[in-house]
Amino acid sequence: MWNLLASLADGGSLNQWIQETYWLWPVMEIIHFIGLVLLLGGLIVVDLRMAGHLRVIKPNATHQLLPFVIAGFVLNLVTGTLFFVGDPGRYSINIGFQIKMVLVGLAGLNALFYHLKVSPIMSNWDHEADSPLLAKCVAYTSLTVWTGVLLTGRLIPYVGTG
Amino acid sequence: MLTTLENTSLALWVGESLWAYPSLLACHIVGLAIVAGIFSMRDLKLLGFFPTLDIAAFRHLLRLALLGFAINAISGFLLFSSQASYLATSIPFLSKLVCIAVGMSTALVLQSRLSFQLASGLESTSVDRATQLLAALSLSVWVGAIIAGRLIAYIF
Repeated sequence: MWNLLASLADGGSLNQWIQETYWLWPVMEIIHFIGLVLLLGGLIVVDLRMAGHLRVIKPNATHQLLPFVIAGFVLNLVTGTLFFVGDPGRYSINIGFQIKMVLVGLAGLNALFYHLKVSPIMSNWDHEADSPLLAKCVAYTSLTVWTGVLLTGRLIPYVGTG
Repeated sequence: MLTTLENTSLALWVGESLWAYPSLLACHIVGLAIVAGIFSMRDLKLLGFFPTLDIAAFRHLLRLALLGFAINAISGFLLFSSQASYLATSIPFLSKLVCIAVGMSTALVLQSRLSFQLASGLESTSVDRATQLLAALSLSVWVGAIIAGRLIAYIF
């Protein structure tokens, strides 16, 4: 699948523009890092509350952070796509990139599960009580998988082909 | 002194081992997400976002932020040790250190203001002007630290 996407991107006008614009790559990296801070920073608060910590926060109040989490994700989806288009042959065969994409997919499924099964019942939670087991599982899965995304993403320049 | 540091067995291990440098970078990005993540959410809260999120939560999160800072101070020092004399004159690297120093000092000032405000039973929704300015400063220097940190690889 990644090879197919790589062959579509390679040699296209966007591919050439990214390769020829010398300042673009570092600027996209900076945006990618700011995006990850918004994404992970928001999720630390959302997930820790969901797991039963930080009970001073009303369970529902963490919904206010989600626009920042989503904005961080969108920034990184856009810059990440541009990285791939700019250097498709490097990413498509990189084992770090491939594992990272699987983890992002898992994080997406977990977020969907949060949206459908956990978020709707949060307003019924007892403010003082511990969180349901289901919510704890979703919260810790989220933090673990996103940490894996950070680690595998950072290792992309150092690991070999898949 | 910097070359002495570079020639310690620890610094040589960081520079020469196949896995040390990438592993330290991987730790460094997790610490970055924790520190800059928690502090930027606190700053956004102080600047008026998340109206019903209790600000006291960030008093509890300071410990986690400091843990993230410790991870990055250690991993950062080890990364630095392997190319100390190069980095000591790198403008982006020195700018990054200044940003982090300002960000951490601001965090401690904000923490004491927050504790004082919560202890005196003031409405936790009311944030005074000075606190907001500190939050804006903090947000700017953490963004600055990220920009400068990334540019270390591009600008001498």
